[in-house]
Amino acid sequence: MKHKRRIREGNPVVTIILYLMAGLTAFIALYPMYYILILSLSEPRFAATMKVYLYPKGLDLGAYEVIVKDSKMWRTYRNTILYVVPTTILMVITSTLAAYGLSCRNLRGRKFINMYLLIPMYFSGGMIPSFLLMTRLGLYDSPLSQILPACFSIWNIILVRSYFRTIPDALVDAARIDGAGIVQTLRNIYVPLGKPIFAVIAVYTIVGIWNSWFGAMLYLPHQEWQPLQLYLRRLLIEAQATINGGDDQLGGRRTDASRSG
Amino acid sequence: MREEKAAVIRKKKKIGKNIVKENILIYLMMLPTLLLIFVFSYIPMYGLVISFQDYAPGAGFFGDGVKWVGLKWFRRFIEGHYFSRLIKNTLVLSGLNLMFGVTAPILFALLIDQIRHIRYKKFVQTVSYMPYFISTVVVAGMVISFLTNDGILTNLFSFFGLPRKDYHIDSAAFPWIYTATNVWKGFGFGSILYCSVISSIDPGLYEAAKLDGANRAQQVWHVTLPGMRSVIAINLIMAMGAVLSSNSELILLLYTPATYNVADVIGTYTYRLGILEGQYSYTTAAGLFTSLIGFMLTFLANKISNKLTGYGLW
Repeated sequence: MKHKRRIREGNPVVTIILYLMAGLTAFIALYPMYYILILSLSEPRFAATMKVYLYPKGLDLGAYEVIVKDSKMWRTYRNTILYVVPTTILMVITSTLAAYGLSCRNLRGRKFINMYLLIPMYFSGGMIPSFLLMTRLGLYDSPLSQILPACFSIWNIILVRSYFRTIPDALVDAARIDGAGIVQTLRNIYVPLGKPIFAVIAVYTIVGIWNSWFGAMLYLPHQEWQPLQLYLRRLLIEAQATINGGDDQLGGRRTDASRSG
Repeated sequence: MREEKAAVIRKKKKIGKNIVKENILIYLMMLPTLLLIFVFSYIPMYGLVISFQDYAPGAGFFGDGVKWVGLKWFRRFIEGHYFSRLIKNTLVLSGLNLMFGVTAPILFALLIDQIRHIRYKKFVQTVSYMPYFISTVVVAGMVISFLTNDGILTNLFSFFGLPRKDYHIDSAAFPWIYTATNVWKGFGFGSILYCSVISSIDPGLYEAAKLDGANRAQQVWHVTLPGMRSVIAINLIMAMGAVLSSNSELILLLYTPATYNVADVIGTYTYRLGILEGQYSYTTAAGLFTSLIGFMLTFLANKISNKLTGYGLW
């Protein structure tokens, strides 16, 4: 009996070690975030020494007060939301329309479209040609520069298309026999059934746009339209400059910070 | 009889007409997406021609004023002062990332698979995804503040007997900081894919292995890992293709001129010289060179994978 159990469950010591390793991994993932939280809640004199490890030392909400009163930060929040909302909506629409087209059975030229989608996944013009294109399109220094290039994704099209493939043909045929056209089939069959995958790509897009800063640094030279992450980056650079005090090691970064800010 | 035939032909024609009509409609629906892809993905590819020109800002890609210079910029890049440093840094950073960034999610998925307690497993998994959702800017800020002279990680290092210093501007530490940050941010999210592959492995295989007397490690080695082979192969091929395009967004946030000698990669170099200094043709040539090598590496890795495992991208 005992022998049988050992075969099934394995060595209990190993089991304990594995559980501990999983716990340690969770701790490594979680603790840095927790540490930042307690540091931000501690009184500045304790926070400055960075010797706060388990719980906040001397509760002080001063840091949060500064944030709440910072009108510049609220503007960047507004900008980020202005970029996230339309981009996400457009992303769901463009991905759905393209994926739907590709899943229509009597589409002609599907091979060509597939090739057309495949090439940019392996090859791209890169940073400079894109930058020149955006400048030529008049999108430099325009909030649209954060929305238009980000509101489609070939990867998402493929994701939605493979989800659409799981919709039974019989359902689509039934709708067609009942006289539904291309548009009605999309509206009454694919859209209601595709909701889970729309949610997935919407979440990906929201997280992606919320956290992005590089595109904004390239195309938005004025603070007026800069998103939150770029503002945070500026704070980071200022903080680094303070950390490093007199030595001018950050000279290069300061110039490009002043350029972006 | 003839009337019947005529009716069939009429019907066929009608269906044909319908298909044409439907196709027009379908294409109209796909048009906005296809157009966006054309403008923002294909035109920049076409813009690569400036790497063979003396491109003047504001000019068109073709036309009268264009001065074709052949491979001048490529030659300048390859013979340039920074070429070996850039290639070395890119290879070191990507190599470390290939070693740890690709294996960490696999190992974590294997570890998680061994946890039988469902709630504990869910907790560990959920926590592990969280770093992925923090923005790179914030992560970089955290990393830098942890690694200053009195930061928490520096405290930890000094506890283990390492010297106390500003690790965030230390050249020797940079590749490890970069790799650790990447792994920390991505291991949990990256493991989702592997976990779903593991859960799709037939439980009967484990039963059979157990009956044959396989212990836990042997089950992992002979059942779980072979079941993950195709996904691991595909991920490795993709990672090989990205070897020359390291995560320059994170590097831009973490590096300082003090660490340029180990941190400057082709992506960051392109940003500084191209965007900040306006050397468009030169940096486009550098970028094109990188993508070509990356493409060749993907191709090679795919070929090798096809030979060894039978799986590949194409």
